[in-house]
Order: sequence, then structure tokens, then C-alpha cells
Amino acid sequence: MLKAKQLSYAYSELAPALENISFTIDKSQMLGIIGPNGGGKSTLLKLIVGLLPMQTGTLEFNEKPLSQTALAYIPQSQELNDSLPMRVSDFLELIPKKASRSLDECLDRVGILDKKNDLMRELSGGQRQRALLARALRCSPEILILDEPTTGLDGQGQDQLMQLLKSLQHEEKTTIVVVDHNLGQVLKHADKVLCLNKSHHWHESKELLTKNIIEDIYHCEFEHIRLHEAGATFDDHHHECQHDHSHEHDGEGKKDA
Amino acid sequence: MLESIVDFIHYPFLTRALITTVFLAMTCGLLSPIVIAKRYAFVGSAVSHSTLLGLAIGIYFGGSESSMTLFLWTLIITLILSMFLAKSTWRQALPSDTLIGLFFTATMGLGTLVHALSTRSSGDLLSYLFGNVLLLTNTDVAISIIVSLLIIPLILIPWKSWLMSTYDEDFAIISGVPAKALHYIFTIALTALIVSAIKVSGTVLVNALLLTPGFFALRFARSLKSTFTLSVLYSIVTALLGLVLANYLETPSGATLAVTQVALLMIAILITKMTKKS
Repeated sequence: MLKAKQLSYAYSELAPALENISFTIDKSQMLGIIGPNGGGKSTLLKLIVGLLPMQTGTLEFNEKPLSQTALAYIPQSQELNDSLPMRVSDFLELIPKKASRSLDECLDRVGILDKKNDLMRELSGGQRQRALLARALRCSPEILILDEPTTGLDGQGQDQLMQLLKSLQHEEKTTIVVVDHNLGQVLKHADKVLCLNKSHHWHESKELLTKNIIEDIYHCEFEHIRLHEAGATFDDHHHECQHDHSHEHDGEGKKDA
Repeated sequence: MLESIVDFIHYPFLTRALITTVFLAMTCGLLSPIVIAKRYAFVGSAVSHSTLLGLAIGIYFGGSESSMTLFLWTLIITLILSMFLAKSTWRQALPSDTLIGLFFTATMGLGTLVHALSTRSSGDLLSYLFGNVLLLTNTDVAISIIVSLLIIPLILIPWKSWLMSTYDEDFAIISGVPAKALHYIFTIALTALIVSAIKVSGTVLVNALLLTPGFFALRFARSLKSTFTLSVLYSIVTALLGLVLANYLETPSGATLAVTQVALLMIAILITKMTKKS
């Protein structure tokens, strides 16, 4: 079980980015973290993976500190430095310890074995996400942590990727934490949802999540959030909700798997 | 032209220049793709310009006769300055180009002032700005060999860590790669290399050696291995050609070297574009 207890984090003394956040998920469950822009999703993720130091609270997996757990982090694919001509096979060798699974096995598992000798920068958005996933699988992680995996993918690509994650969750008993702005995909595939807006958070099985809870966390009407996801644009000056606008059209015009 | 090549065997100062250039070009070729991929081009420029302050102080306290004293003074002062640079460029949310710009104009200005005001100064600062192989001594050759032999294993042994921290820094940090230490080590290596290259290429022109090979390789190579191999080969071949041309045309070494490297890069790009069109 992954257990977070009373997590708080502040970049400065004035404004805490997270306050008293607690959640639990069982082994081989998927937790989807959603929330408005600036609500602390990225801060929480950085705390979990160790990019930020813990200030208060605890993070444990099966009663052990998270630092002693085989954890794999999958960053947003656009964070990769594409100025280097990195082949997929070379990319999968960039792992910290000895791999427990072969390169071919991992590429085959995510369905891009035929791209082994291609350059990472020449892959489509979906294929890049799969390559990142394949690298994570090489060390057989107990927990997979993904940052905005559906960004830049069209609807079909998003579905394919989330289904691949579901199959990893069930077949390999991997615990998965997904931070995503994509409400639809999170609600469709996650077992539990953490709805986060700084100190204001809700965490339970997704069946218990209601429209009112989402509106309360986002400080915005639910229909409005759904319209954003459908691609509607808002030109009115009264439009001040905290929903993350920057992501909505990321997928347009990009290739997908 | 052939005589200009034979000169490198007959004249000891040219032999020294040849050996120094080979080691310098080899090390620059190895570092160059990382400098470009990590977007350290401006940092390299700032470090090379700040050597002027170290040189001015070095010439004031030790004179320019002893190569080792001057090298150590320049290295120590430039290292102190480059550590501030390394600190201000490590994972900053805000772009640090303004700070770097201020840094190198301030240190270069200060260097020129120190040199102008010091009464004991005897060295010719202009030679250090644009390079002058006549200044090279056997100690300088030894320094460039030692610096290269220290830097090359520093890059090749933790090869995977350099690639991880360059290609995917967050993943590298989470995986336990000491990315911050590598950032500082790279700045130190870059500083030592630049300081050891001053007499051949000059503080202003050393950037051509640092950037052109990597730019060429990153443009034409299709794998990591070929990138670094191509970068080192391009660096050595073009630097030697530049040195031979400098001797043949009797032009300053740093300037000829820089122009040769950049000109060949432009020709290569032009040929590729023309080939693609036809």
C-alpha cells in the first residue's frame, strides 16, 4: 500500500503549495491526481519521486519509506533534450542500475519493438510515451509515476496509452500514480482519485466522486471544465476559472501512435 | 604549402603548437556536443572572457615569463568566477542569460582595468585575446596534455551519467545520478580547458573550438556514438588545418583556426542543402 500522511510543502514561508495532504492506494491500484492549474499536482509529484525534499509528512510503500522502493518516474516527453540524436535502443540503456528485463522484451511489451533503431526525436507523441514506459519497465518497478502522460496525444492515442497502463497494473501488479489534466481519462481508468487544490483536497474511490466535489475543488462549474476538455475556447473577460488552459490544444496537429 | 607543413617539424615553436592543438582539439571535440546539448554555449563564452581578469592579475603578480605561474593564477581566479556562474545556472526557473552577459562584460572590463592600472604589467594582453603560438613554451604543452588527460577520463568513465543528466535531467536526479556535482565538474573542466587553450586560440576565439565541432556533429550524426566520434575528428582535422593555414598565411593562430572551423561548417551545411535540393 502506498500511503501519504499529512504532506505539506512550501516554496516560501508565505504561500504553502501543499497543506496536510493524505492519501492511500493499495498495491496494483491506479491513483489519478487531478486539480486546477497551480493546485499543487506537480509539487506533490516532485515530492513523491524525490525531486523536492520532504518538509513535513511521510510517504511509505508497504510500511517502508518510499526511498527504499523500486520506483520509476516517467516525465513529460517534451522534457527530453532532443538536441542529442538518441536512438530508442540507446535511450533504454540509460538506466541507473542493471536492468532486470531485456531491452527487446520491454519494447515488445509496449508495442514499439520495430522502432528500436529510430531516433527518439523522430517518434510520434504516443511512441515517445511508450519508449519512456519501456525504459521504466527495464528495472521492473513496483510503482510507476507518470507526469501528464496524455499531453500531446489525440483521443485514440490517450485511450491506447491508458489501456497499456491498465494492463501493466493488472498483469504485473504495478502500482500506478498518474498526474493528469485530462479529467475524462483519469475518471475512466483510475481506481482512486485525488482531487487537489493546495490544502483543499478530496481522495476516494472514483465512484464516490461527484460533480459537486469537482466544482468545489476547481472553483469552477463542471460543465465549464468539460467544455474545456472538448476544446471550447473562451474569449470573454469574465472567464477566470483556475482550470488549466495551457494543455487543451496540446494534441492538435501532432502525430500520434 | 608543403613547406608550411614541414615547418612543424623544423621549428620547435610550431611543434609545440601542433602538439598543444591536437590535445586541445581532441578535448574540445569531446566536450563540444555536451556544451551545445546542455545549452552551455553562453556559459563557455562567459568563462573564456572572464579569464582576462585572471590573466591580468596573474601578469601583475607573477609576470608573463613563467607559464606555470600564469596558468595557475589564471586558473584559480577563473575557477572562483566560474563557480558563481555554475551556481547561478543550476536548475534556475528564470533565464540566466542576462546574468551571464553581465558577468562576462564585468569580468572582462575588470581584467582590462587591472591590466591598464598595474605598473608591473609586462605581458601583452592582446596576444591572449586572439591567441599567439609564439607564446607557447614546453610547460604550456605539458599543461595542455595534463588537462586533456584529466578531462577525457572524467567524461568517458561516467559516460552514462553525463548522457542521462544531459538528455533527461529529472530522471537522472531521481535515479541517483549526482547531476548537480556533474554540473559543477563540467564547469571546472570547461574552465581548465579554456585556460589551457588561451595561448593557442585566445580568450575571444576559444569558443569556435568549443562550439563548431559539436554543432557539426549534432547536425550530421545519427547516433550518440557517431556524434562524439565525428565531433572529435572534425575538431582535430579542422584545427590542424587552421594551424597550417595560419603558418602558411602568417596570420594569427586563434583567428585562422576559428575562421577555418566555421567556414568548413558552413560549406558542409551548404553542400547538404544543395544535395537535398537536387
